[in-house]
Amino acid sequence: MAKVSLRRLSKRFPSASAPAVDAVDLDVAHGEFMVLLGPSGCGKSTTLRMIAGLESITAGELAIDGQRVNDVPAKDRDIAMVFQSYALYPHMTVFDNLAFGLRRRNFRSTEIERRVRDVADTLGLSALLARKPYALSGGQRQRVALGRAIVRDPKVFLFDEPLSNLDAALRVGMRGELIKLHHRLGATMIYVTHDQVEAMTMGDRICIMNGGKVVQIGGPLDVYRDPVDTFVAGFLGSPPTNLLPGKFDADRLVIGDNGLPIERRDVPENVIFGIRPEDVTIGGDGAHARGEVLAVEPLGAETIVRFRLSGVVQDVLVRGPRTVAARVGESVPLTFDLRSAHLFDPATLHRIV
Amino acid sequence: MASLVSRPTGVRAGAATRVDRQPWSAIVLFLLPAFTVYTALTAYPVLRTLWNSVHTVLPHSARFAGIANYAALVHDDIFWRSVRNTFIWSCVSPVAEVSIGLLLALALYARIPGRRFLRIAWFTPVLMSYVVVGIIWVWIYNYDWGAANAILRAIGLGRYVQAWIGDPRIALPSLIFVTTWMWTGFNMVVLLAAMHSLPSEVLEAAELDNCGWTAKLWHVVIPLIRPTILNLVVLSFIGKMKIFDLVWITTKGGPLWSTETVSTYLYKRAFEWSTFDLGYPSTIAAVWFVIVLAGVFALTWLFRQRERLEF
Amino acid sequence: MGRLLRSRPFEPATARSFPTQMLKRVALFAIVALYTAFAAGPFVWVATMSVRTTSEISLDHYAWPAKWHWEKFAQAWFNSNYNVYFENSLLVVASAVAVLTVVGSMAAHCFARYRFPANRVLYFVIFSTIIFPPQITIIALFQILVQYGLYDSLVGLALVYVAVQLPLTVYVLESFFARIPGDLFDAARIDGYSEWLIFWKVSLPIALPAIATAVILNTILLWNEFLYAVVLITDESRRTLPLGIQRFMGDQLEDVGMIATGLMIAIVPVVLIYMFFSEKLIQGMTAGAVK
Repeated sequence: MAKVSLRRLSKRFPSASAPAVDAVDLDVAHGEFMVLLGPSGCGKSTTLRMIAGLESITAGELAIDGQRVNDVPAKDRDIAMVFQSYALYPHMTVFDNLAFGLRRRNFRSTEIERRVRDVADTLGLSALLARKPYALSGGQRQRVALGRAIVRDPKVFLFDEPLSNLDAALRVGMRGELIKLHHRLGATMIYVTHDQVEAMTMGDRICIMNGGKVVQIGGPLDVYRDPVDTFVAGFLGSPPTNLLPGKFDADRLVIGDNGLPIERRDVPENVIFGIRPEDVTIGGDGAHARGEVLAVEPLGAETIVRFRLSGVVQDVLVRGPRTVAARVGESVPLTFDLRSAHLFDPATLHRIV
Repeated sequence: MASLVSRPTGVRAGAATRVDRQPWSAIVLFLLPAFTVYTALTAYPVLRTLWNSVHTVLPHSARFAGIANYAALVHDDIFWRSVRNTFIWSCVSPVAEVSIGLLLALALYARIPGRRFLRIAWFTPVLMSYVVVGIIWVWIYNYDWGAANAILRAIGLGRYVQAWIGDPRIALPSLIFVTTWMWTGFNMVVLLAAMHSLPSEVLEAAELDNCGWTAKLWHVVIPLIRPTILNLVVLSFIGKMKIFDLVWITTKGGPLWSTETVSTYLYKRAFEWSTFDLGYPSTIAAVWFVIVLAGVFALTWLFRQRERLEF
Repeated sequence: MGRLLRSRPFEPATARSFPTQMLKRVALFAIVALYTAFAAGPFVWVATMSVRTTSEISLDHYAWPAKWHWEKFAQAWFNSNYNVYFENSLLVVASAVAVLTVVGSMAAHCFARYRFPANRVLYFVIFSTIIFPPQITIIALFQILVQYGLYDSLVGLALVYVAVQLPLTVYVLESFFARIPGDLFDAARIDGYSEWLIFWKVSLPIALPAIATAVILNTILLWNEFLYAVVLITDESRRTLPLGIQRFMGDQLEDVGMIATGLMIAIVPVVLIYMFFSEKLIQGMTAGAVK
């Protein structure tokens, strides 16, 4: 395991106008599971590939265990990577796939044998060692890709959206496997994904990226509860945070035709009010607003209700309990948990409160 | 939605209607022209050639000859010489053309500058008619002023000048050289396309597995383009088994049968020599047909991919 | 969408020393230059000779043209019958390719889109003839054409050309037709189109790129075709271009200059097609060889 430091790391592709990765600062501690999260094209994969050495670094510094590795070839960085498409060698057996890297590094064959069998046992691949990738299922291929990385015993593990190609049920199972793996190996892992559920459940810390820049770094619950701007607030959580435009009027925040008892304190007159669907209660005393029910989506364990607040353009989504006594067209009082709400500056989209 | 059963997609995307409701008239309509042509000008001629082979076919009559033609073939020295020449050609060419093509493809794969131009430039010999190529190379091989000897003289190796296609000992190799010149570019283009179609992530994985350029080529690239390599070998083999044009333009089978191929020999016996018998050449054609098919099957069986290389 | 960037070979961080890099690149360059000269040299040479008179050539075969004798092309064209050969080739090739395209695409469409018991068998029957050496049919074709009075005629030759190129055409088109999404056909059927109309209005327009490829491929292969022509055509006035050129080899006792000009006349159409359609042509000729 090792620590990885990125200092103002940047990547600009020759034909592009804007940098793909723009001055990223990131510290990953020993044994930490760091998730790079963000929408497609935000530069997270490129950053990962720069750490791996598969992309050259345009500017900035990359250090592993304190040593600058900008110009060190990928194979000498003691890094292993699990690719989204698994990238197994199609013409080699599972055993050879796992052993290839070790053979190329001139390990003794007894050592190779031992390591491969150990890893195969751990991942439940022992029965598949003689098969070729085409005869494996998606989940099995994924485990072989994982095994190939583990067998190398590298300083850092890199994951490039490894679960994206699996179906939903398999994904949930593999998530658990990876978490257990991390606990067992205690290795430094950097994991790229666009799936915020994966990020929240697996990461020690999450680094959220957008447009090539780092937006926020923090633990899952910290980032969830205290988003630094509307992007983070809207990206984490499903359904996403409700973001409503509001205007302060004396001692109330007016949203549409509704007024919320919020004190104005050193904030601009116009703000964006953000509240998560689970922090809105249907009914309740001291109702802050009235909403007309547009749709009720029962999910089994809970219900998502879509409201229209008078005077407000966007729909408001509310997480309700398993059964909700609301019908389409009804006008229902809504209570907001104001302690969990946020105010964002509409100009910078940053959080103020 | 559990009751919805997804419709089987069938062998190919959007495979059409069920068997019982096939628009038979349309199918027949679509296939009729092609199969008419095929039957009249391919299938029937094959059968007729076979029929010819057991007859003595004179301009206005045909006499049944049984296996006389086949028996005569066994003792036909020129025929066996031509078979030998053709086989030498068909075995040497694929090796030369594909391996050099592979090297060239690797050079372009390494992203040297101007590779788009080079790819087009190196492909050009393939486009030219064998007639054109033949004439040009007859000139190149000209003893007095041809480029081959001129270059040798210019660099001081004058004692190596040859009558490239006039000397029975080196005429065949000289011609093999010409076909290699022609087809290497073709193989290069195909192999290059195959290399580019390899998934880049597998190559990246190899990079992380401590593979430099050569290791990647040896362990990953070449094994994965093996099916394409095999295809090219078979294509080259078939092409050389058929070869006629080039020989006809350059040496007409000479000197002294050293470049006689089965097709030139057949042509001569059918249309040039005054025997007027089309039966015997048909026998040659029939036997050769079987040999070619056998050769193709042998090759494909020998180098068959034992399992699928999915990626 | 960073995936799009990954389709090119990547440029990883390297720490190789500069001199070895330089040396490798120089060596590579040398090999490349040498091979390019080797591949293209002969054509450049012929091109230069085509604009020099034979006497000039005899003096120095490899000199760059001092005077560009463009009039030789006119001479070859009118005085040496190249106009006749060119026309014949044009007629035969154009008609053969036209027929091939129609007949081939009809068959390919049928194989690709309809499931019927004999489908694969029939397809294999046509496809397998690609392996057949021409010798197995040429004698009988000769006999057949003579029998039906089509010997030594452009019509006969064109028909034979259609048969010769049919397997390849069907092969190239079938894989393309098969990839058209079936929903389009279903929608057309629901709209009441007859099968023939579906072929004309749905399959063909969408398959235009593949058809273009097949057309270019067939044109070049048939333009250069020699064996069938030499067997089935004898009369001077009906010779195709390859035959015409070949005649001069023995005929004019090495009037090298004129022959070179004739060669250029034969090469130029091909080069033109290649210049404009190089990608398509290369793809078409190499299709199916890549697995």
